[in-house]
Amino acid sequence: MDVFLQQTFNGLALGAAYAVFAVGFTLLFGVLNVLNLAQGSIFMIGGIVGLELVRLVDLPLPAALVLAMVATGALSVLTQIAVFGPLERRGGNRWMGLVASLALARLFVALAQEIFGTQVLRFPAEAWMETVWTIGNVRIQTLQIIVVVTALTLMAALAVLLRGTQTGRAIRTMAFNPQVAMLVGVPVGRLTLLVYFISGSLAGAAGVQLGILYNAVSPFMGEMILLKGLTVLIVGGLGHVPGAALAGVLLGLTEVYSVGYLSSSFREAIGFGVVFAVLLLRPTGLFGAAVRQRA
Amino acid sequence: MMSFLASYENVIALVLIHSVLGIGAYVMLSVNRFSLATGGLMALGAYVSVLVTINAGLPFPVALAAGTLVAAVAALILGFPVLRLEGDYFALATLAFTEVVRVIALNWESVTGGALGIVSIPIETRMWHLVLTLAVLVGGVLYIRSTFIGRILEACRQDEMPAQAIGIDVARVRLVAFVVSGAICGLAGALSAHYSYFIGPSDFGLIRSIDAIAYAVLGGLGNVIGPVIGAIVYTVLPETLRFSAQARDILVSLTVILVVLFLPKGLLSLGPALYRGLFGGSRGRASVEPEAAE
Repeated sequence: MDVFLQQTFNGLALGAAYAVFAVGFTLLFGVLNVLNLAQGSIFMIGGIVGLELVRLVDLPLPAALVLAMVATGALSVLTQIAVFGPLERRGGNRWMGLVASLALARLFVALAQEIFGTQVLRFPAEAWMETVWTIGNVRIQTLQIIVVVTALTLMAALAVLLRGTQTGRAIRTMAFNPQVAMLVGVPVGRLTLLVYFISGSLAGAAGVQLGILYNAVSPFMGEMILLKGLTVLIVGGLGHVPGAALAGVLLGLTEVYSVGYLSSSFREAIGFGVVFAVLLLRPTGLFGAAVRQRA
Repeated sequence: MMSFLASYENVIALVLIHSVLGIGAYVMLSVNRFSLATGGLMALGAYVSVLVTINAGLPFPVALAAGTLVAAVAALILGFPVLRLEGDYFALATLAFTEVVRVIALNWESVTGGALGIVSIPIETRMWHLVLTLAVLVGGVLYIRSTFIGRILEACRQDEMPAQAIGIDVARVRLVAFVVSGAICGLAGALSAHYSYFIGPSDFGLIRSIDAIAYAVLGGLGNVIGPVIGAIVYTVLPETLRFSAQARDILVSLTVILVVLFLPKGLLSLGPALYRGLFGGSRGRASVEPEAAE
């Protein structure tokens, strides 16, 4: 039972980070109908920037997290201005966007290797809060709590923004139909940039979170999270924000539980098998409404 | 000339294999489906053919046939349910397929050798095999596109609703295209495995699927020569920057982004523009060709 509780908590911390990543990912799809496969590399840049700010500039962890989010948000806006925006204005074929986003991902990974080197980076020991709380027999690290609290804060902020403000209503109108949004006077251009910013900064936050959980950051961490993000995206329902959050936590728990019980390393294959089954049987995702609902 | 060919033999073989893969991707793009299954199908062709030559000790042509056939059958089985899916969902399902194949190759150690892969594969592929394969494929695609089947394919690409209205079974056309694409990728896998002495799971991941599509998009989808030109540029260009893997990646991905942004019809579209620029304002023959594909 203790082991179970312990693993549940570990899984929740991991799942919280997955959820943050997946929500940014799915928001972009739900609102702007963009499948941005460069999202994994933006996540990676978030992780590296966050770690370097702690390591080289000696910033406290929370400040580094916020700055990393601003940086990746800005980077994401930049990709919109330089690549995705012009592509959409041209109205070219949809897969051109996919090709461009894959090329962007490769570009970012190569640039990160060029600038930060190819080795795995770790947080410096003095920035490390090694405090461990013991409740019953369950050991909880402060860092895990930080990750979970950050995730909850970000989700709550996003929920308030989307559900409770005028801006959120405008964004949801765009998700419903961009033409309609324009007709009723929603500043679509500006809000598009905002959605890119939110999506990028959530990816960056997830990068810092996973960097903290594993205490390891490298230019290659993006591909792993991209595949997991896609899993979550599909299981939660493409473009379905609460679904992505839930599916992210679920994936974290599944991974942690299955370490003990599934000895075979076919585990990943099972994950993709699930994706497959969901796509074929219920393409709107497990938590999606039968009719496609977005954002 | 001969010494030039000898010193660049590897690059040339790589260009040829990549061209074949590019055509495999082109076939799917020409029925308007974004398939990321290329890497997985290629892996099937490679592993099956290698098992045939090494474990079963059968001759090379049998191995090629087996690799091609298994990949084609896999495409058929995969395509049946998956081709029902629209746009992005299809792309993601094929991505999942490629990943499943990679994970299986990584973990089924008794058969695939796991992460270490399979070594000492007999080198059976000769340059003329590759040249012949590419020539047959280019010729075949050009021929098919000149027949009524070509017009059916074009109808499926441009707009499926009218195509269905005039009685084209779009779903079946796409399935056939997927099987053909699978066979091409399988063959490419079998040929490249017997060229390179070693195969491992990392040779056939998602990156393969992405690269294959990049060849086609880079060259241009208006013509089957497009993927070949794309493969040449994509493969030879990085060779000029041998010293740094990162610089290579940066160059290649910037090229792709710039082509996607500014040359949506690929490098092929540079041809006519260059011609007009060099030989003055003559418009050339009057033409009723449909707009070339993006």
